Amino acid sequence: MKKIALLSIGLLLTAAVPSQSEVNIDGFLQGLYGGRLDETNPTSTEQTASETRFQLRAEHYGDKAEFFGRVDFVWDGADSVDYKWELREGFLKFRVGSGFDFKVGRQVLTWGTGDLIFINDVFAKDYRSFFIGRDDQYLKAPQNALRAEYYHNIGSFSLIWTPRFEANRLPTGRRLSYYNPMVPGIVGTGIDDMYYFDPPLPESKFENGEVATRFQRQIGNFNSALYFYKGFYKNPVGMDLVNMTAYYPKLNVYGASIRGAIWGGVLWLEGGYFDSREDQCGEKPNIPNSSVTGMIGFERQVATNLTINGQWQADYMLDYDYFAAQQMPGVFVRDEVRHLLTSRVTKKLKMETVTLSGFVFYSPSDEDMYLRLSTEYKYTDEVTLMAGANIFDGKHENTDFGQFAKNDNVYIKLTYGF
Amino acid sequence: MRKASIYLVLALMAVVASSASASEQDANEIMKKSHLAYYYAGDDGMADVTMTLIDKKGKERNREFAMLRLDLEEGGNQDYYTYFRKPSDVSRLTFMVHKTAGGNDQRWIYVPAVDLVKPISADDKNSSFVGSDFSYEDVSGRHWNEDKHTFVREDQLDGKSVFVIESAPKVEYQGFAKKVSYIDQSNYLPLKEEYYDNKGELARVFTAEKIDTISGIPTVTIRSMENVKKGSKTIVDFSKISYNVGITDDVFTERYLKTPPREYVK
Repeated sequence: MKKIALLSIGLLLTAAVPSQSEVNIDGFLQGLYGGRLDETNPTSTEQTASETRFQLRAEHYGDKAEFFGRVDFVWDGADSVDYKWELREGFLKFRVGSGFDFKVGRQVLTWGTGDLIFINDVFAKDYRSFFIGRDDQYLKAPQNALRAEYYHNIGSFSLIWTPRFEANRLPTGRRLSYYNPMVPGIVGTGIDDMYYFDPPLPESKFENGEVATRFQRQIGNFNSALYFYKGFYKNPVGMDLVNMTAYYPKLNVYGASIRGAIWGGVLWLEGGYFDSREDQCGEKPNIPNSSVTGMIGFERQVATNLTINGQWQADYMLDYDYFAAQQMPGVFVRDEVRHLLTSRVTKKLKMETVTLSGFVFYSPSDEDMYLRLSTEYKYTDEVTLMAGANIFDGKHENTDFGQFAKNDNVYIKLTYGF
Repeated sequence: MRKASIYLVLALMAVVASSASASEQDANEIMKKSHLAYYYAGDDGMADVTMTLIDKKGKERNREFAMLRLDLEEGGNQDYYTYFRKPSDVSRLTFMVHKTAGGNDQRWIYVPAVDLVKPISADDKNSSFVGSDFSYEDVSGRHWNEDKHTFVREDQLDGKSVFVIESAPKVEYQGFAKKVSYIDQSNYLPLKEEYYDNKGELARVFTAEKIDTISGIPTVTIRSMENVKKGSKTIVDFSKISYNVGITDDVFTERYLKTPPREYVK
C-alpha cells in the first residue's frame, strides 16, 4: 500500500513537470549515518541514523495562486528496515484583495525571536531529528493548517488554525532513550518494548483544534509582536490518572516580543504566560503549573565571518510551593525559576565553503547541558559533506537534557543537491 | 625684498591651497557622479544575476538570483531585494537590505524551509556577499562622502578617456586603506578600481568587463572582482535588466520577503 502511494506521488510529480513551463523542480539526495557513543544506552540499536533521503521540491505559480510541494522519501535502517515517505509541505498560497494573504495545506510554521529556543512559537518541533544530526530544517515538523494574514498600515495580523493537534516529535526509546517517571529512570526499547513512547493525541474534535494568532508592528528599528495561542502543551507533560499514560493537557499562551538592530548587532526580547487551563490553581500534581517565561538574546558579528550570540531564558513557575510538596522523594525537583543559557558560534572559512558551528544549551538550575557541534564542507555547489556530534550531560536523570545523557552520538552526512 | 618674498610665499600658498581644494572638489564631484551612475541608475531597477566564484585552483561555483532595487532618495537610502534560485541549498531563499546612506544598513533573511524571518547583524559591511569576492558594500555601494577623494590625472584605459581618482577612508576602515578608481569621462562609470590594504599592497581589483546601454542608461552588465592576494575571482553577469519598472516600497517588507513578488521575480 505504502509503495503504491509512493509510486503514485512520484508519477504525479514527474507527470506535472514537462507540460508546464513555470514548474520548478529541485531537491537533494542525502545519506546520514550516525551512532551512539554510550554503550550503556538502553536502546535497541547502536545506530542513531542510517538513512538515505530523497527530497523532491516542486513549485508552480500562476497569476492568481502558487503551489509548493516538498516530499521526502526515506530508506531508514537504523532500528528496523523501513521505507517511508512524508509530505513535508504541500500548500496553496493566494492573495485576496490588497491586504489578505492565505496559505492552506501542509506547512512549516515559525515565529518568535529565539534561536533554537521557543516561547510563543507553539508549532510542532521534531526533536528526534534534531538530536541525531538531520538538517536544521527538520527541527520543524509540518502541520496541516490554514494561515491567514492581513496587512495594514497599523501592522500585520496573522491567524493560524490547525484543525488536528500536531504534537512535538520526541524520542521514542527506540534509537534515543528518555526518562520515564514511572520507573523512575532512563529507559528505551532495548530493555523492553513497553518503553516505546507514543502517547495518544487529543481527540480529533473541532474544539481540539489549535489557534495561534500574532499582531506585528514595526516601531523604528524594532519589530514588536503580540501573540496568543489556544491548544495543548506540545509535549505530553500531563498524566492521565485513569489509564496511567502521559497525555497533552490544555494550554493557552499569551506573549509579546521585540527584536531589532542595535549596538552593532541584533537584540531580542520575548516573554510569555503559559496558562495551564486544566490546573488553574496549581493544585493537580498530574498536570503542570502555569508559568511565566522570559528570554533575552543578542547576536553580533565579532570578526569577519565570525558570528556569536547568547541567550538567557528564565521560566518562573507560578504555584511552586504546592508543586514542590507533591514531588516524590529521591528525584530532582526543579527550582522555582529555571534558567537556560545558550550560545551559538559560527565561523565561515574558505569563501564560505567551510562552516564550523557550535551551539550549547546550559541550565545552571537544572544542572544539565546539550552541545551541538558540526563542520560542514561544501565540496562543490552540489556536494556537501558534514560531520557533527550531539553531546548531552546532566547531573539528574529527570531534567530536560539530563534525561538524554546516554544519547551522545556522532554522525556524518553527505548531500547531493540538484 | 623681505616683504616681497613674504608676499610671494603667501601668494604661492594661496595658489597651492586653492588649486588643491579645486581638484579635491572636482574629485569629489566626479566620485559623486560615478556613484549615482553606477548605484542609482534610474529610480528603480531589476535584473537576473549570475555569479561565478572561481577559486585559486580554478574551481567554479555559481549563484543565480533575481535582484530588485528601489531608490528612496537619489544618492541616499535604497532598498534591495534578492531572490535566490541556485544553488539548490539556497533556492527560494530571500534576502532584503534597507540601505541607510552613511549609517548602518538593516538586513533580513527568510529561510522558506523553516518559515524563518531573521534580521541579520549588519555591522560588518566588509564581509563577503554569499561567499564571493564582492563585499556587501561593493553590492550596495559605499557612500562617496565616507572617503576623501584626490584627483590624480586624466588617462586612457582600453581606448577610453578616464579620470584617475585616489580615495582614502575618512575613518579607518577594514575594507581598504586606499582605492584608485578609473572613471569613464563620458558616462562616469567606474571601469576599474584597485583596492589597497593598509600595508599599501594591492588586494583586490574591480573591472567593468562589459558595458551596454539599457533604456538609454549606460550599465555595467558584466563585472568582476579579483582577489589578488587569495587568487580568487568573482564574475557577475547581469541579464534581463530593466529600469523604472515602478517597484513600490511595500515590496521591501516582511510580507514580500515571505512571498516573493511574482510580477518581478519569476
